[in-house]
Amino acid sequence: MDPERTGVRMDRMLRVNMTDRSATFEPLPAAYRNRAGRWLTSSIVHDEVPASCHPLGPNNKVIFSPGFVTGTAAPTSSRISVGGKSPLTGGIKEANAGTGWGRRLARLGIRALVVEGQSTDNRFWLLKVDTKGATFEPADPWVGKKLSEAVAAIAAKSGGKERVDVCAIGVAGEHRMGAAGVCFTDREGRASRYAGRGGLGAVLGSKGLKAIVVDDSGAADVPIADKATFDSGRKKLAAALGEHAITKPKGALNSYGTAVLVNILNEAGGLPTRNFREGRFEGAAKIAGEAIFAGNKERLGHDLYNHPCSPGCIIACSNTWHHKDRSEHTSCIEYESDWAFGADCGISDLDQIAELNLLCNEYGLDTIEIGGTLGVAAEGGLWKFGDGKRAIELVHEIDKATPLGRILGNGALITGRAFGVTRVPHVKGQSMPAYEPRAVKGIGMTYAVSTMGADHTSGYTIAPEILGVSGKLDPLDPKKTDLARTFQYATAFIDSTGHCLFIAFAILDIASGFEGVVEECSGVLGTKWTMDDVGRIGKAVLDLELDFNRRAGFTAADDRLPEFMSREPLPPHNGVWDVPDAEIDKVFAS
Amino acid sequence: MIVEVRRYASLGASGTGQLPGDPQDVELEDGATIARLLEELALPPEAVHLVIVDGRIRHDREEALRHGARVALFPPVGGG
Ligand code: SF4
Repeated sequence: MDPERTGVRMDRMLRVNMTDRSATFEPLPAAYRNRAGRWLTSSIVHDEVPASCHPLGPNNKVIFSPGFVTGTAAPTSSRISVGGKSPLTGGIKEANAGTGWGRRLARLGIRALVVEGQSTDNRFWLLKVDTKGATFEPADPWVGKKLSEAVAAIAAKSGGKERVDVCAIGVAGEHRMGAAGVCFTDREGRASRYAGRGGLGAVLGSKGLKAIVVDDSGAADVPIADKATFDSGRKKLAAALGEHAITKPKGALNSYGTAVLVNILNEAGGLPTRNFREGRFEGAAKIAGEAIFAGNKERLGHDLYNHPCSPGCIIACSNTWHHKDRSEHTSCIEYESDWAFGADCGISDLDQIAELNLLCNEYGLDTIEIGGTLGVAAEGGLWKFGDGKRAIELVHEIDKATPLGRILGNGALITGRAFGVTRVPHVKGQSMPAYEPRAVKGIGMTYAVSTMGADHTSGYTIAPEILGVSGKLDPLDPKKTDLARTFQYATAFIDSTGHCLFIAFAILDIASGFEGVVEECSGVLGTKWTMDDVGRIGKAVLDLELDFNRRAGFTAADDRLPEFMSREPLPPHNGVWDVPDAEIDKVFAS
Repeated sequence: MIVEVRRYASLGASGTGQLPGDPQDVELEDGATIARLLEELALPPEAVHLVIVDGRIRHDREEALRHGARVALFPPVGGG
């Protein structure tokens, strides 16, 4: 039987046109019946968005899609994928976040929410989706406001945070800045979980859509075609997550959060420091996950373990940082954000890092892009590495949308151009995350070829290259062509399931856990997928994305790391980027 | 010989007043191996998932250490 033709789930698509503010429910096209999450957002972008369109014009679209198992009892599966053409890279984009918002959308039977057109009245709108349908109201009261205030007010007037989750853009998105992310509420209603990368917040801003509130009260459970297979799968996954040292309760992620990686990358000489000038940061131990744990303990008087960002997550890696008076300062200081404002900016004060993190959450900014931008801005003479007070002032410029703020809010590449900086760590216009390619070659290849621009979540080769998960490879060995490909395929599949990518730590090591994920999907959809389908689906997703990017004008010349990395040796290993272009071009050649 | 050890995350030397990652000098006989260091620190080998010596990840526990080496010890950790 054709595995694509057995689906029984009768989901819908909600098409929202911002030009005439219409909202129409359509049956999910048959071709998309067994697609969800990133597979579906990338399919719709590929099939409906003209590759040559201006990302901020009326022909771009923003697509939201929960994964296959989002909304079910599958553990750690409340992810929402957001797709479109990126104003930062000019290519296809999928960014995802953990939030109850996607879960509620799935429970309403909406597999894809497509936002198209463009408001012509220069106003911002709030879209409300519930069992009765979809309606608009003016969003004027929340324009220009901090996201924590806007989101709390929207939730309160819509029935409260128990009943609704909110998706919104901040000031950065309203001003169509390339570093604007899409913000979602976490399980406690905080405006803190981001589909951050690639500027999709600016695309929503360009359409005049400020926020989308989803209320699933009265909705039926997500239908499951084959309950026995689904239950078998979710139990296998839960067992793997509960058993693996990284993902289990009070394990590494639950205790120290993702920022536990700061010390490990620092020791491996791969923690990009002061705008990728060095691979070790003398302040690493002061900003690492261990220091966050110790600092919270000192301020609160007790151990504080991390919390789930979204309903049903049993890994629970999301942290909070607290002021000296014990009140909460911000959530969540992820490894990436911690590094971006810490090592990359030469800042070793956790309170300043927390403030920068908070401001990005309030203004609707991608922390990775803004940290990278600040690093480039320091090179350009706008401030001195380590001067956290000045860094905070610069982020306030973005909120004020001053000319300087608009430059910074458009990311590292634009800032580098504006200030004559040549050391700009980016690929395809998206700034590099917290792993140094000269010290970890496989992640460098992944940055180079990813359809998303420099993106560690495209294929987290750090697992075998550094962490000793799913293999033990030498990070300095440049032969990573097959690794870069297989990890990107596996990731594209996981990004389509609705699971958080962090399940990978457990399921890459525990084979029954990965089988469990495949069974969960088959159980929901009524397909007969096996492990062989993982690579097939992953490749199908990447092929769509690569085709879109090709039509958008990308060539092999765009699959390159910045030139300075081939010229400047990086301490402490003092190596340069030396993976031959021909090897990079082989990653997706077959 | 003396090696400079940093114990991270849950391997942090509890009860010693040290924070995870504070450097600690450990004296060992010349030519001592990684396994010998773990024994000296009374760390069960299986509790230590990753050993980084002078910036290089070391999987062979029988490898000899050199005087002055910077040795980092980690339990299983992950993130992103
Ligand atoms: S593992 Fe962390 S990021 Fe992923 S869903 Fe759970 S709390 Fe959120």
